[in-house]
This record gives sequence, C-alpha cells and structure tokens, in this order.
Amino acid sequence: MPTSPIDEVIRHAGRIVLGKERQIRLALVCLLARGHLLIEDLPGMGKTILAHVLARLLGLNFHRIQCTADMLPADIIGVSIYDRNSGGFQFHPGPIFAQVILVDEINRATPKSQSALLEAMEEHQVTCEGETRPLPDPFFVIATQNPYHQIGTFPLPESQLDRFLMRIEMGYPNQAAERELLAGADRRDMVATLAPCMEPGELSEFQGAVREVHVSEALVAYVQAIAEHTRRSPDYETGLSPRAALALLRAARAWALIDHRDLVLPEDIQVVLPAVAGHRLHPASGAPTVSSADMASALIGAVPIP
Amino acid sequence: MAAKRESPRLARIQELWLLACAVLTLAPDAEHAPAWLTAAVGMTLAWRGAIWWRTATLPPRWLLTFLVAAGSAGIFLTYRQFFGKDPGVALLILFLALKLLELRSVRDGLAVIFLCYFLLLTHFLNAQGIEVAGLAMAALVAITAALASLGHAGRSAVEHLRLSALMLAQAAPFMLVLFLLFPRVQGPLWGLPVDAYSGMSGLSDAMSPGSISNLSLSGEIAFRVRFEGEIPPKHILYWRGPVLRLFDGRTWRAGAQQEKVSPPDTATSGAIRYAITLEPHNKHWLFALEMPDVPPPGAIISREYQVLAKTPVRSRMRYEMRSHPDFVSGADESGASLRSNMNLSANNPRTRALAEQWRRESGDQEAVIRRMLDHFRQESFFYTLTPPLLGENSIDQFLFDTRRGFCEHFASAFVFAMRAAGIPARIVTGYQGGEHNPVDDYLIVRQSDAHAWAEVWLEGKGWLRVDPTAAVAPNRIEAGLASAVPAGEPLPFLVRTDISWLRQIRFRWEAVNNSWNQWVLGYTPQRQREVLSRLGMREPDWKAMTAVMAALCGFLLLGLTAWALHKRVRLDPTVRAWNRLSRKLARIGLARRDWEGPADYAHRVALARPELTQPMAAIAALYIDLRYGRLNGKEPRQRLRGLIADMEIAVPR
Amino acid sequence: MQAVASFKRWLFRLYGPEAAPIVLNQRRVYVLPTRAGLVYAAALGLMLIGAINYNLSLGYALIFLLTGLGLVALLHTFRNLVQMEISPGRVESVFAGDMAHFDLQLLNRRKQGRFAISFKLEGGRAVSTDLSADATTTIGLPLPTRRRGWLHPGRVTLETRYPLCLVRAWSYVEPDMRCLVYPRPEASAPPLPLSATGESGGARSGKGTEDFSGLRTHQPADSPRHVAWKAVAREQPLLTKQFTGASAVQVWLDWNELPPDLDIEARLSRLTRWLIDAHAQGLAYGLSLPGRKVPLGQGARQFQDCLEALALHGG
Repeated sequence: MPTSPIDEVIRHAGRIVLGKERQIRLALVCLLARGHLLIEDLPGMGKTILAHVLARLLGLNFHRIQCTADMLPADIIGVSIYDRNSGGFQFHPGPIFAQVILVDEINRATPKSQSALLEAMEEHQVTCEGETRPLPDPFFVIATQNPYHQIGTFPLPESQLDRFLMRIEMGYPNQAAERELLAGADRRDMVATLAPCMEPGELSEFQGAVREVHVSEALVAYVQAIAEHTRRSPDYETGLSPRAALALLRAARAWALIDHRDLVLPEDIQVVLPAVAGHRLHPASGAPTVSSADMASALIGAVPIP
Repeated sequence: MAAKRESPRLARIQELWLLACAVLTLAPDAEHAPAWLTAAVGMTLAWRGAIWWRTATLPPRWLLTFLVAAGSAGIFLTYRQFFGKDPGVALLILFLALKLLELRSVRDGLAVIFLCYFLLLTHFLNAQGIEVAGLAMAALVAITAALASLGHAGRSAVEHLRLSALMLAQAAPFMLVLFLLFPRVQGPLWGLPVDAYSGMSGLSDAMSPGSISNLSLSGEIAFRVRFEGEIPPKHILYWRGPVLRLFDGRTWRAGAQQEKVSPPDTATSGAIRYAITLEPHNKHWLFALEMPDVPPPGAIISREYQVLAKTPVRSRMRYEMRSHPDFVSGADESGASLRSNMNLSANNPRTRALAEQWRRESGDQEAVIRRMLDHFRQESFFYTLTPPLLGENSIDQFLFDTRRGFCEHFASAFVFAMRAAGIPARIVTGYQGGEHNPVDDYLIVRQSDAHAWAEVWLEGKGWLRVDPTAAVAPNRIEAGLASAVPAGEPLPFLVRTDISWLRQIRFRWEAVNNSWNQWVLGYTPQRQREVLSRLGMREPDWKAMTAVMAALCGFLLLGLTAWALHKRVRLDPTVRAWNRLSRKLARIGLARRDWEGPADYAHRVALARPELTQPMAAIAALYIDLRYGRLNGKEPRQRLRGLIADMEIAVPR
Repeated sequence: MQAVASFKRWLFRLYGPEAAPIVLNQRRVYVLPTRAGLVYAAALGLMLIGAINYNLSLGYALIFLLTGLGLVALLHTFRNLVQMEISPGRVESVFAGDMAHFDLQLLNRRKQGRFAISFKLEGGRAVSTDLSADATTTIGLPLPTRRRGWLHPGRVTLETRYPLCLVRAWSYVEPDMRCLVYPRPEASAPPLPLSATGESGGARSGKGTEDFSGLRTHQPADSPRHVAWKAVAREQPLLTKQFTGASAVQVWLDWNELPPDLDIEARLSRLTRWLIDAHAQGLAYGLSLPGRKVPLGQGARQFQDCLEALALHGG
C-alpha cells in the first residue's frame, strides 16, 4: 500500500526507532507543518536517533548542538572572524545553519542563548553584527530537555515554550521492541546505511500540500469549542491562545496529509491535541498534576463535536 | 425569606415611566371629577414633574399626610359621603396623585401601577363605547410597559412597549375564554348608592311643554330594533312608552298602573316580530310597537298596554316582542277607568269653550275629532323645536296665541280639547319612526325620535290613536324630525340628513357599535346562557362553565408552556441525519459519544458489529465528505439519509 | 429543623455537586407569585367585585385581560430562567479574609436575551446580570472567606422576577467548584529570616547575578544604569536591559524554626507572609512543614506550590 515517500520515511524510520511509530509520525507532522519539536524525556530514550534518522531519510543535512551553561549565542549562530588574507571580517556560520538541528538539553543553556536560538527558530533567519542571514529551508529544530534534573538549569519560560509546535515524550519502548533493540545491530551504524527516501524539493512540496488540506467550518467550530472550553473551564490556569488554536489546526492538517486525506477530521485534532496543547495548558492550582496525555483526553471528553 | 428586604430604589427612567402612566390614566378623569380635584391633581403632577426634572427631594411625610387629610376632607365635603361611585373614584384619583409624591422604591412604583389599573376600570363607569375601550387598551399597554420597566430599568422604551404588547396579546385568548365562560352574576351585589345611575337620559313619566323638544336635541340612541322580516312602514312605527292621563293644567302624568289580567288579544292577524336592544334609562318601562301582546320575561303589560319591567332598566337589555299594529284595545274599558281619562283641570277656559262649541255643533264624537284636526291643519300652526314659553293657561295660549309648538304641545292641546268635548282621551309618549341602518339592518331609534301622540276612546271601537302632529307636519311621521322642522333650527348633528357621506360613515360606525353593544356590553347572564347553549353546552350552569373555562385556560397555559420551552433547533440536515444514525444504533447500545469523530465511530461500530462494517463505512465516508469535505448539495444529503434509513440493524433478543 | 432541611433537599432535588453543564430543565425551575403578585391578584378580585356591582362589561374584559396577563407573566418569568446552561468557571485562589469570586459560565442558547437574573451564594451578596442572546456570559459570585483550605461554595440560588415583578422564578444549582483559600498573611510579622544559620539560612548562589536576559521598552522608573545606550546610539528608542538572577539568595522557610509558643494558624500565617516577601524579592526559597517539604525553587509555580502546601496543611 505505501505509495507516498512519506510512508517510506515512516516505514524506514520505524525499523530503527523501534515501537515509536506515533512519535515518528508526530515528528513528521511537525516538520511538514513547518513547526519545531520539543522532546521531553530522560537521556537514552532515542531522541537523538529519531532526529538523525529523520534527517537522513529526508535527505537533509543535520547538526547537533549540545547545550551547556557556558555556551554563548555566538556558539550557536556563528561569529565573524577577521580574515587576514582577505583583509575583512568573514562570517563563520554556527551549527544553526543546517536543515535539521538537534538541540540537546536546551534547558542547560542560559536564557541568553535560549532566546537567541528561539529567535532564529521563529524568524527563520539570524541577525549577526547587523547583517541578516537567512537560514536554510526547510529548517527544523528538535530540542530536547530532561524534565527531571532541574538543579542548575534554566527551564524554558512559557512564552518560549509556545515557539514549539509540539512537545512529545518518547517513553520506554515496549518489551518486544526493547528485545529487538537489544538483539539487533547498533542503531548508529544502521543510521549510516540509510538512504534518503525523498528528492530534494519534494519535502517543500509536501509542506505546501499541508496548506491545501481542506478545513471545513464544522471543524473550525470544533477547534474553537476546544479553545473556548480551556478558557472557561476551572481546570486550567490559562486557556489556549489563538496562536495555539492555529497550531492545532496546522498540525491536524499535516496529520491528515500523512494519513492520505485532503480534509481534516475531528479525529486528527484529537490525535495531535496532546502534543500541541500539552505544553500550552497548565492545570489550575490545586488540581492534581497529570500527564499531558491525560489532560488532553479529559479535554477531548469534555468538548462535544459540534 | 422572612427577613425584610429593602425594596430597590427607582431609577429615573422608571420614575418617568410611572409619571407618564399616571398622567395617561388621570387625563380622562378630568371630565368627570370635581373641578377642584382636577386642578389639585394637575398641580400635583406638575410639581412631581418638576421634582423629577430637577432631581429634587420629595416632600416630607407630614406634608403628604396633611395633603391626604385635606383631599379626603374635600371629597367628603363635595359628596357628603365616602361610599359610592363618584367619591370612590375621587379618592382613587387623590391617592394615585399623592402616591406619586412618595415615589421612592420599586414597591411604591408597583402601588402606582396597581392604582392605574384600578382607575382604568373606573373609566368604564362613565362610558363603555368602542373608543373608550380603545383608549383603555392603549393605556393598558403603556401601564404594562411601565410595569415591565420596574422589572428592568436598563431596557429601552421600545423594548418595554414591545414586550407589553406581546404579553397582552398572549393574554388576550385568556380574556376571551374568561369573558365567554366566567359565570356571570347579575349585579348589583348590594344596594347601590343613589347616584349610581345619574346621567341616563330618556322619556320620563311626566310631560310638560318643552320636555320632549329638549330630549329631541339629543342624538343618543334610545334603542335598536331588529325585525323578523321587513321593516314596517314608518307610519306604523309608534313605539309605545308611558301613557299619561293625569293633567294639572300644565304637566301630564301617568297614573297608577295595573297589570292587564286578561289573556293577550291575538285575534288580529299580521303580527310583527322583532327584538329590541334597549339602552339603559333607569326607568321601568320598556318600549314596544303598538300593540304588544306577550310581555318579555320579567315584565308585565299594563291595562294601558305599557310594557313594564320589574326593575328599572339600568343596563342595556335585549328582549323579543310581538306586536299587532291593527289591534285596537280597550273595547271593554270600564266606566271608572274611562272617567279617569276625562278629568280636566280648571284652567284654560277658552279651549273648553271652543270644545264645548264643537261638541254642540257636531253630531258625533268622530266629527269633533276631525274638527280639531282640521283646526290644526287649516289655522296657521307651526311645528318647531323652539316654541315660545307658555304661561298659566298653557293650552289656551298655544291654541289661540302662539300657535307654534312641538309634538307635546299638539298632543296636549288635542287631548285637553277632546276631554272638554266629553271624549275620553289620553296622551301616549314614546318614540316614532327610527332610522334604518343598511349596514347591519337594524332600525335605530334615537332620543330625537321621541314623540307624543293621543288616544281617544270611541264607543264600540276602543282606544284609537290620533297623532295631531301628523296633521300639522305630516313629514315628521313619514320622513323624520329633520325634514319636519324648518331649516336653520338646531338639530343633533347625527340626525341631519343633508350630508350623505357622513350618513354612510355614521351607519357603519353605528353598526359596529351595535354589534359591540350586542356582544360585548350586552353580554349578560341570560345572553351568556343563550350563547353557550348555542355553542353546544347542554346545561350551562356555573359548574359546567367553570369546568370548561378551567379546561380551556389549561390548554392555553399548556400552549404557552410549549412556547416557553421551545428550543431553537436548526441543525444542519447532515448533522440531523448523523444524529438519526446514532439514535438508530443506540438500540444496540452503540450510540455515538458526543466527542467521538465519525471515523472513530464507524470503526467502533464495525468492531462491535462486523456485519455493519460495509454500510457503516459508506455512511461515514459520505458524512465526512459532506461535513468536513467539500461535498455539498441536496442530492448527497438525500443519499446519506437514504443510506441511514436503509441500514438494517438486527436487535438482539 | 433536620426534617425541614431534608424535605427541602428532596423537594428541590439537592443532591450535591453536579456535573457541568447544568441545564435548568423545567423540573427544577420553580415559580410562585411574589408579594406584589398577591397584591395584584387581590386588586383584581376587588376590581371584579366592582365590575359585577356596576355591571361593567368592559370591566370584566379588563379584569380578564389582566388575569391573563398574570398567567402570561408566570410563563415569561419561567421562560426567563428555564433552559439556561450553567458551568463552573475559573476560581482564583485568595487569602483568607479576602473575597473569593466563583465564576459561572452562563450559556443562553435562545435567540432572545434573558434579563435581570440574580445569582446568590449562601452567605454571599446577590449579583444580577442580563444574558445576551445566543451567547455565553460570565459572572463572578463573591463569597467572603474566613478559614484557609478548600472553600466549597455550596449551592447557588438563581432568581428572577423579570418581566413584571409579579412572579418569582427560582432554581438551585450546585456547580462543582471549590476555591483554595491560603492562610491569611500575618500583618506585622518579623522580617524574612535571611541571616539564619545553618542550612536554612540564606546563601549566595555561585552564579553571576547580572545575566543579561533581554530588552524591553524603557519606563521612567527604570534606573539609568540599565538603559541600553548602544541601542540609543543606533537611533532606536530608549530600551531597558533586563537581567535575571539578579539576586539568587536562597531561603528556607521552616516550620520548626518558628517560636514554639505560636499555634498552628499563627505559624502558617507567618510563613505565608514570609513566602510572599520572598517571592516579591525574587529569592529562591523552599518550605518545610511537618509532613510536607517543598524543595528550593523560584517562580510562580513554586510560589503556588508553597501556598498550596500552607493552605492544605493538616487537612
């Protein structure tokens, strides 16, 4: 049945990142919707592999930034160095000049560096010493953070979290997947053998196709009802912003696309809701802290489809 | 709840509403209330208006107490009592005006509104015509709007008026049911004060020169007649009222009345049947065409062929009669009774002499009568509404000096002369003629049709009607008052015949008025029983009426409840179809959860009932295209409905 | 009294908090005439006697129309309340002694508005509002707070006399809401124990205190030292440099460090005061209560966690 290159990507990625098809799909959705992805989990859960695999399969170049407390914005963006030969300053681009970037442990970077990175993500360009340089297209940031060891870290402020289209968790693999993982070959070697499934330019076509996916009025009403509910319900500290509602629609469109549909269904909204709304919603004070998946399913159950 | 709650203060706009209402309600009272009260109320309203305009403080309590005491004292001095119609209304007016001066809280506002409603009722004591009802209706809408404004100060005047009109429109069916079916009680419930029926006009049982011509100036309606069949010719339309036989030289009076004991004389043929709707005149007599045979229920016919009700006619009444225009009564009159119709007062010597002379000269009584009529006809007598005043020997003066008079002058002179000539004679008052309204085919008899004529008793024949006025002014009988009196004399506007379009309008208006009187104002206990039995109620006693009334009101309330609970459900037809599917599947416990998307739902149904996979997938696909895709139009929607209708679900036992 | 209360519970179907949305169906909207309504009825009776006595046919008509009006008013008032949908809204936590506001979401699905509906919590002030057509209205019901902990507002009485004041329609709803009431901060507490000894004392963190974090538009009260003069030189508007971690002092707020003669509430009250001060000064703080410990932290979330711990202590 697989006919689309996207299916190929999902199939190949699934062979390496075992038992994580949902996360792979969500990452792809993020990419197709021109958003960025935040993965929150413990180290060693396959975050890096996922990023790497996606870059390989899509034929994109890949950089990795390991964040530390002493990192400066210039370490990400790049610096101009005086070139004695040419007699002028020459810009040495930083690791951000790549199509897929894995920003490891973003909460270890200082707020200064964080905001430099997030500005670049938002603007798709960097300004360095008065000169604006465009970033490559497509430009896809996968940031990770470790939610459990917070001492000496700078958790992303809520305004910055909003820059990520989605936040997902990898989670432990199931038993079968883990056994296969342990028995199989080294994942890093497998990544090296991967061949791209897409022609250059094909990805941007898909990105364009996302915008063509039909959203009916009934569906808009549904998204609106969800947003309205979060704004009114006593269960949430603050409701979803209009930007969040837009993000929800954008993600649902991409999900519909990789599901081979040219129209968005309420189910698409429901599928992407935990990833899109999880980091934008906070339970009200006094409410028990729950996972974003639980919160999203409570939200879905509370809003009838109009 | 027991705790006393402070009634909220009135907003300025609410005060304005209440003031406007009070003005609207009080205005019609200016006509009837004593002048000093009207002036005082007007000043109070102006004062209250000024207080409102300047947002000044209201007068202190002691001043109000003083004003109440002073006003009540004034009313007592005016009427010498507090009980009764007029002082009661005056007190209500006073209270309403003074309540405005202590208008502070919503509770005061409610008191004003209720007083306004009450005053609205009292307006009907004076008149109950259509125009009065219309004005009352307008006032009712305004007062109810003011009441609505007490419920919510923030809405606009138009919204209040609209709401008020809506609520009154919804209340109208209740009014209709209650009006028709509420068991009517014939009032009064207790003895009415003497002033209750002041101001009703009509014939009296005494006639002196000028009394009927005065009445003729009024265009008011005396009664209406509906004939079975053709309206008889004018010269037959003598509506018999009080018969007068006692004369004191100036005024004729009726004597004591005795009920006619013999059965009605129905020997003659050509009976005329008709029904009369009589306006109240606060007297016992009813009018009937000469000569009536059977009295209506609750009335008698006297020996002088007067129809007399047992109680004065104080509300409009309707009765059916049968008359025999050719019948001549009194063939068997006793000598004593005839003698009472021969009495003469001592004065008017010239007339007595003339009559004596005629009697001597003429062979028989009939010749004397002819002689008298010829005298009227040949000498220069004038028929006029404005005769000169007459002195001590009024008949002598009229016959020999002034020779100008109205029907009462002619009748009176004629009867006097006949008696002087030894012929028993008496005066009959009543109405003559009437006007046919082509719109509703009623004959309208007005006060201006009031008339007096004579009856003479001839041996072997009985009482014969002689109308001396006809000898002088035959037009009066054939064409009515307007054509008989000389041009230029003051006539009631409505009686004038020279403006034809006005007549048309008048006819229509009076036809409407008549049905108003018949159906609204004349809806008495008898009429109610009549109507209800005609509507099919077998025994319309009060129990049955109350039961039917309660049932109908219950129905109306149910209807209104349905209106109140009506939910606006205007769903997309696609969604309606989808909901129908859910209801259908609910029978096997597979109702759609309201947050469940179409694909998920189809999947769940297919898992639970594999045999439904196929139809369910088709339905879901079509639904998705219609609701979330670009598909649109009538045909696919019908297809969806068809698919859902066709889906067969085996319900497990 | 007990019997009356349970009868009332049975009559008005009061069975504890209800799931949202609460739809006021016809069975739970009650109508009775108000005192004004009774006066109105009495006035109509009086008018009827008058009409009978004077045989006023139009008087009958007027009285019957007004009777109908009374009945119609009954339904209008009923309609003003029925089928309204009520869901609980936000509830902000407050300090004991402050006024708690319980938000209600009122959904009116009708094409006409609903007017002059008053809402009242037992013990609170009545609030009156209009509902516009086909829209949701939010209303906050005030309720004074006395004790810390969870405050359950109980049932809400909805009442309306619209449009004619002759009829009162009312209903009881019990939305599932609660408000977290923090302890009342002590009015004149000793200063924050910054210089206390041992692990509970304040300690300077090793981090730099002058980390530049961004720019914002200048406000007159900002120190001239923090103006981004470089930006001014580039002819940009006046901007102020913002710094984070300007004072990364750590404070431990410890129950056991308080004077032993204070009772529980007084201790909580003082800790609340200190917590507010510490948060206002941007310190990092932790809280230690018997049976509950909030680790060191900073920011709004930390503040809330600590307040919550104080509010619910012992509960």
